[in-house]
Amino acid sequence: MATLKAFTMPKWGIEMSEGTISEWMVGENEPFTKGAVLTLVETDKITNEIEAEAAGRFVRILAEAGGTYPVGALLAVLSDGEAAAADIDAFVANFKQADTSFEPDAGAADAKAPPAAAPPPPAAPEIPAGIAISPVALTRAAAAGVDVATIKGSGPGGRITAQDIDQVVRPVASNTLAGPYPLSPDTDVFASPMAKRLSVLHDVPLAGISGTGARGRVRKADVLAQIQPVAPQATVVAPPVSGVTVNAMSSMRRTIARRLTESKATIPHFYIRRRVRADRLLALRAAVQGQRPSVNDYLIRACALALMEVPQVNIQVHGNDIHRFESADIAVAVATEKGLVTPIVTRADERSIVDISAAMQALAQRAKAGKLKPEEFTGGSFSLSNLGGFGVEQFDAIINPPQGAILAVGTARPEPIDDDGAIRIVPVLHLSLSCDHRAIDGADGGRFMAALANLIERPELL
Amino acid sequence: MQLSRDDLLGAYRRMATIRQFEERLHDEIKTGEIAGFTHLYCGQEAAAVGVCDHLAVEDFIVSTHRGHGHCIAKGCDVKGMMKEIYGRRDGLCKGRGGSMHIADLSLGMLGANGIVGAGAPQAVGAAIAAKLDGNGHVAIAFSGDGACNQGTTFEAMNLAVVVKAPAIFVFENNHYSEHTGVDYAVGTNKDIASRAEAFGMKAWRANGSDYFDTYETMRELLDYVRAGNGPAAIELDTERFYGHFEGDPQRYRGPGELDRIREERDCLKAFRARVGDAGLLDLAELDAIDAEVAQLIDEAVSEARAAPPPDPESVAKDVYVDY
Amino acid sequence: MAIMNIREAINRTLHAEMERDSNIIVLGEDVVGGAGTAGGQEAIGGIWGTTGGLYAKFGAGRVIDTPISESAIIGAAAGAALAGKRPVAELMFADFIGVSLDQLWNQMAKFRYMFGGKTKCPAVVRMIYGAGMNAAAQHSQSVYALLTAMPGLKVVLPATPADAKGLLTEALRGDDPVMFMEHKTLYGVKGEVPDGEYRQRFGEARVVREGGDVTIVACGRMVGFAEKTCDKLAAEGIGADLLDLRTTSPLDEEAILDSVEETGRLVIVDESPPRCSLAADIAAIVASKAFTSLKAPPAMVTGPHSPIPYARELERAWVPSPQKIEDAVRHVLAFR
Repeated sequence: MATLKAFTMPKWGIEMSEGTISEWMVGENEPFTKGAVLTLVETDKITNEIEAEAAGRFVRILAEAGGTYPVGALLAVLSDGEAAAADIDAFVANFKQADTSFEPDAGAADAKAPPAAAPPPPAAPEIPAGIAISPVALTRAAAAGVDVATIKGSGPGGRITAQDIDQVVRPVASNTLAGPYPLSPDTDVFASPMAKRLSVLHDVPLAGISGTGARGRVRKADVLAQIQPVAPQATVVAPPVSGVTVNAMSSMRRTIARRLTESKATIPHFYIRRRVRADRLLALRAAVQGQRPSVNDYLIRACALALMEVPQVNIQVHGNDIHRFESADIAVAVATEKGLVTPIVTRADERSIVDISAAMQALAQRAKAGKLKPEEFTGGSFSLSNLGGFGVEQFDAIINPPQGAILAVGTARPEPIDDDGAIRIVPVLHLSLSCDHRAIDGADGGRFMAALANLIERPELL
Repeated sequence: MQLSRDDLLGAYRRMATIRQFEERLHDEIKTGEIAGFTHLYCGQEAAAVGVCDHLAVEDFIVSTHRGHGHCIAKGCDVKGMMKEIYGRRDGLCKGRGGSMHIADLSLGMLGANGIVGAGAPQAVGAAIAAKLDGNGHVAIAFSGDGACNQGTTFEAMNLAVVVKAPAIFVFENNHYSEHTGVDYAVGTNKDIASRAEAFGMKAWRANGSDYFDTYETMRELLDYVRAGNGPAAIELDTERFYGHFEGDPQRYRGPGELDRIREERDCLKAFRARVGDAGLLDLAELDAIDAEVAQLIDEAVSEARAAPPPDPESVAKDVYVDY
Repeated sequence: MAIMNIREAINRTLHAEMERDSNIIVLGEDVVGGAGTAGGQEAIGGIWGTTGGLYAKFGAGRVIDTPISESAIIGAAAGAALAGKRPVAELMFADFIGVSLDQLWNQMAKFRYMFGGKTKCPAVVRMIYGAGMNAAAQHSQSVYALLTAMPGLKVVLPATPADAKGLLTEALRGDDPVMFMEHKTLYGVKGEVPDGEYRQRFGEARVVREGGDVTIVACGRMVGFAEKTCDKLAAEGIGADLLDLRTTSPLDEEAILDSVEETGRLVIVDESPPRCSLAADIAAIVASKAFTSLKAPPAMVTGPHSPIPYARELERAWVPSPQKIEDAVRHVLAFR
């Protein structure tokens, strides 16, 4: 059987990367002797003959005269005798060209997909004459209403950059200085500076800690591991039980879990409970012609007005700062398939019941469709959670941080009340207010509940 | 060709200028007003002047860290030099270069150099340029017995021979490369000219502390080079009256060595004796020149001291022609 | 503990190590001085006075004055190291690496790698660097960024006498080529130096000041400048973590990143032009590895993109200063 060999584009000198076949001097299956001139190859520097290193023949010529091929490309198949077409086909198919490129990215397994066409750039704003400014900076300046003529640019040649605009527009970050620290005492233990500092700060001796850093250096993480020994996390993998499906929490579920865990763990909750008669509110609602607002819509409005009366409850808590709100932005808990969301009815104190009702319907719909915009569920100065629809009598809610309070409302069920000396049985709502005691005292909560009860019991005020 | 009266007066003036410039710097540096490292040329005046007196403005010289003498011999403005050494705005190099980097390209002075041995290859390049221009000009590489040990110097000599460049390697052997003696550091039995010969060029030897010997030998050498014979070398035996740099304790000197070389190897004294004995010049004329030079150096120092400093804002200017 | 300056610390360490290890040899221009002169040997002991007394104690075989031939000095050190010695070559000025660059860069730095890890080249190249003496463009440069960029070389920059001893001892005990860079303005800096054997690991930054508001990274002469800045700012309640890198290769990335994670603000002081500098390198490391910790862009206090000028006024304008460091700290603190 004939032995097949590759005849490839040679590399002459350091720089040659490709060559052009000027001419084939022998034809396919034309036997030649050692030293015979087989082809002429031209580079940008020279034209050279390639001579046969041994007697043989080309059983297939792949490169065309006049064609340019990279160094190492298969130009023809050499053989010491006749060869079967199938064998030649297989030889050509299996030929793998050596990596001879100068390109830094050459040799990657596959050619990369061509880059997707870039979207057309937005129309560039007109750059004022005589001012060197980047288009992005100009757009940003225009949006912020900044006069670019007054800004000293920090870019090349004094060009105004987007950062320069930001430096003018952005508020100064609150800069609480940490100040100088005492120098950590020297130690013979091979430890990073931060590891040394933490060892002093947390009174953890460095000696004995085995360092995980380069050359056994004790790292920050090694010291931290001593401070908070990582308890073997109770990854209690329950034995497989038939009839139980295990589903990983969705990211939304995980967010709810994290936020509420944080709230319950870090906010000192206290609860204020109160019954209110709802008969008049329900009667008022029943009298509405056409599309009736829900009881919850009335409660949103009532909460809003009560918050205006007792602004101590209309707050957010941020670290050591209490943010007081001028309007009542009320987050309303809405159950969706994926979990709890709290769209916000903004400025509920300024809106009519009808307006609130329409807004709430739209928000609830978007919430259930997962189409709320971030600004529609972030912020809020107070939360309302109503489980009355499920026949729940009463419950306590977890504060929705950073808000200061949340009102939990149960169903309206008939109960005896003292109506001006007479015992009457009317629908009664059980309200429970959860307050953040860091910012809200019992008296504030009590006043709020009194105001709220008054509004619910005298719904004509709403 | 006999030196004319004017030639002699001019030569003396140039040597006296170098001498007084350096003597004055030696004193002024002690005040601390002058910054940086300064290497004085005192004692070697006959070498610079004896070489440069043959040169036209279009001939090139490349100098060393001990370059003040070469600058003055090639015609650099003494006041501009003084201002440069004082680090002034109007110094020859705007206060950016200082003592070790004085240059005046308009006079064919391609620069003093802080790197020992860096100049010789540059002189070969300038010689190649002169040869291309076909104007008969030459390029001179001033090197010391220190630089003669650098690979760059060897490479330059070989290249000059290979390309037959009109380059002239002037080795001023002042017997000390910094603080080490030539007896130790120059392996060819303290002979530098033979190295140049080994590279295939003709070499001369002259007394670098004697203006006339240096001048006459250089005339012969330059005739040879300007005739198109390629490079040549000359070793000038000379003396350094001060230390390697100002502040050098010079403990390597033998007892009485400095007194002896000032007595026996002072090129200015030798010049006066020669022209006086031969009746070529009236020594009073030389005294007058000394006085005029003293006046010039006085003015140079007082003007330099009063001159404005560079504007700190200009620190990053002149890095490129265009950037 | 003894009080001494950096010059003395280096000289004494050379004496002690040469006594301990007979393979250590010293070579360079005028490391003895006076060879071939009437005044005789030991005329100077190095123009910086760091090699004084070595010749008298260890003789001409181990303490070798060389002609002015930087390529030969470094190349000979490289060869001697390959042949089993521990040469300490002195380049009078770091700027002279220009003359000898091939021997440092293509030879010494690469032997071990090119020879498949089968050899070592324990050469120490001492070089004197830095501005501050109006020595102008060819005698003032801080070439540590160039050398740091060369894989195979370690780059060491002591800023205290104790570190001069500890780092030089470490260099002489280690088996890799070490560029031991001595700032020409720091030789007279005095401080306590531990007695007896004292080694300082490479790649371990020195914490000079601690504080929570800004991280300042410096080396060499710049450390002292930054200390002045820190003390001034501390009076205003501004606290800085000041790190003296000690070695730029290896680099204590961990110390820098840990500190920046806490302070969020970084000022790097580098006595070099800004492009492809140590400052640029550290800024890039922090930007790529601690991006979310940053509250302001890293500030680089460097010279301008120019050679170092001669005149006092110009050199002052060129070199980073305590005031320039302070300005940079205030800038990063005020960043919006």
